[in-house]
Amino acid sequence: MSNIQTLLSAFDAIAKNPKKQLDDYISQGKKAIGCFPYYVPEELVYASGMVPFGVWGKTGGKINLAKEYFAAFYCTIAQLNLEMGLDGTLDGLSGVIAPSICDTLRPFTQNFRVACPDIPFMFLAHPQNRKKEYGVKFTEQQYNKIKIKLEEISGIKITNDNLNEAIKIYNENRKARRRFIELAGQYPHIITATSRSVVLKSAFFMLKDEHTKMLNELNGLIEASPIEPWKGKKVVTSGIVLDSPSLLKIFDDNQLAIVADDMAHESRAIRVDVQENTNHPMQALAEQFGNQDYDTLLYDPELNKRPGYLVEKVKKSQADGVVIMIMQFCDPEEIEFPSLKKGLEEAGIPYIKIGMDQQMTNFGQAQTSLQAFADVLSTL
Amino acid sequence: MSEIFTMGIDVGSTSSKCIILKNGKEIVSKSMIPVGAGTSGPRRVVEAVLRESKLSIEDLSYILATGYGRHMMDWVHSEMSELSCHAKAAYFLYPNVRTVIDIGGQDAKVLRISPQGMLTNFAMNDKCAAGTGRFLDVMARVIEVEVDDLGVLSAQSTNVINISSTCTVFAESEVISQLAQNTHINDIVRGIHRSVAGRVAGLAKRVGVEDDVVMTGGVAKNNGVVVALEEELYKKIHVSPLAQYAGALGAALYAFDKRES
Ligand code: SF4
Repeated sequence: MSNIQTLLSAFDAIAKNPKKQLDDYISQGKKAIGCFPYYVPEELVYASGMVPFGVWGKTGGKINLAKEYFAAFYCTIAQLNLEMGLDGTLDGLSGVIAPSICDTLRPFTQNFRVACPDIPFMFLAHPQNRKKEYGVKFTEQQYNKIKIKLEEISGIKITNDNLNEAIKIYNENRKARRRFIELAGQYPHIITATSRSVVLKSAFFMLKDEHTKMLNELNGLIEASPIEPWKGKKVVTSGIVLDSPSLLKIFDDNQLAIVADDMAHESRAIRVDVQENTNHPMQALAEQFGNQDYDTLLYDPELNKRPGYLVEKVKKSQADGVVIMIMQFCDPEEIEFPSLKKGLEEAGIPYIKIGMDQQMTNFGQAQTSLQAFADVLSTL
Repeated sequence: MSEIFTMGIDVGSTSSKCIILKNGKEIVSKSMIPVGAGTSGPRRVVEAVLRESKLSIEDLSYILATGYGRHMMDWVHSEMSELSCHAKAAYFLYPNVRTVIDIGGQDAKVLRISPQGMLTNFAMNDKCAAGTGRFLDVMARVIEVEVDDLGVLSAQSTNVINISSTCTVFAESEVISQLAQNTHINDIVRGIHRSVAGRVAGLAKRVGVEDDVVMTGGVAKNNGVVVALEEELYKKIHVSPLAQYAGALGAALYAFDKRES
């Protein structure tokens, strides 16, 4: 057990202090590239010998300077990402990759470019029609543009060999994270909602081979532990980001174990692997994006596959209910909520919706909701 | 069998309520102080019920806290969310209850109750104060009347006007422009109540509304809101004289259930 705790503390320290992690990499002579959400092909950054560094807003951060660029109704992820560019938090990055996959990120990319001209900027346009051959080609072209910029910054050529190597390392990490998510669901008495979050979050601030090494060790230790019956209830979380320690503590205090998730920052980011050892690794990367699905941000020609996907997730993980975290002013998630609600209701799955933003540090209302939800689940 | 006394304390955002219950059935004493979490209210309200009942803390088998400030009550036996407590009290007062609408100082909640009296589903307002007691406080100040007079004023209204239910700030500026157009205060107050009702009805429809509908929480005292909600939902709404004490009552009832565990 003490080894598990030691590893969890190490993940916790990294998740809580990304700036230190960044400074450490830089002091080792490495360059780091900021990767804004969503679906950045980090493998390219890794192949170019640099550190891909996830930048997904700042939980508990305060928006001040970014107000000049955004109206109040932009989500806090976008606003805080710009805030960190303006207040110097992102100093040290050798560049940023900024996708424009939602209506908030589009103006964000433009504002960031103007507001932070000193940070080399790589714009990434993902296609809506990502599956067809022309969509894959478009994605590949976009990735190629980024590749050229990355090579300029790092001075290292991205070859088929080093890209295939990066793909392998990323697949291993995705696999380890998916396994960890399963284990966290089976061993909630060992892996709390809080520790689950720090393990998954720290991946965004680490070279993936380093993260995989630590995580495989942790997974092994968890697997070797006895499974104990869980007295509390089991839930699936859905939404964008859920990493606030005070919010996660409410899950733990009310014995709500997160047995699976549909969070953009967690499972949605690691669902699909990339084909390994091909002669066209760039195409394989583009195909990986084409193979992504079940995300509010991705065009779904069938319009409504997500509710069924979430219902399946609940059944498979034997969860008692769903906690839907709605990021304030996130259009894709809010627009999609009614169909999710309908799907869950039709399947007879209890759920609650909790509104949040990244500036919040006090979650009194969420606490009441989650406590009552735990009560509801225990009476069903 | 000797008598069993339990206490429920509801530390709300704007008031503190406390009830002592005998044998899980009979209210021995109750008190309310119009200040809530983080004030002297919780202490004073407990002193008041003990004084009135001539009991001491040692006479109580179990004490349970609820409400927004429940976590600050570190000397009680346990705490529960106010949603569960309101559900419990509503079922105690109206055994046929299936829907509870609870509008408090800072939030509004709609609860679905099973025939066995269990909370089965609920919806809460988001962070905006529209549709809560706070909204009524703000509006009463804008039109320079006492909150307690709102119900009487709206009953005298002769015209229907619409006030936005989207957000408190929008609604406030609409009220100001109605004042500037010399709209009668009574009609404005009715419009304000309709705005609250519209907002809360939206919540209610999310969980589904089934008879009997019971309203709890401080705002239930305001008959204007009750009438507006009845019009909005096409349902009769039952309001107990103990509506404001529902949280404390539910807590005292749960305390009775939990006293042995
Ligand atoms: S998807 Fe939602 S949370 Fe993410 S950047 Fe867009 S608006 Fe913000």
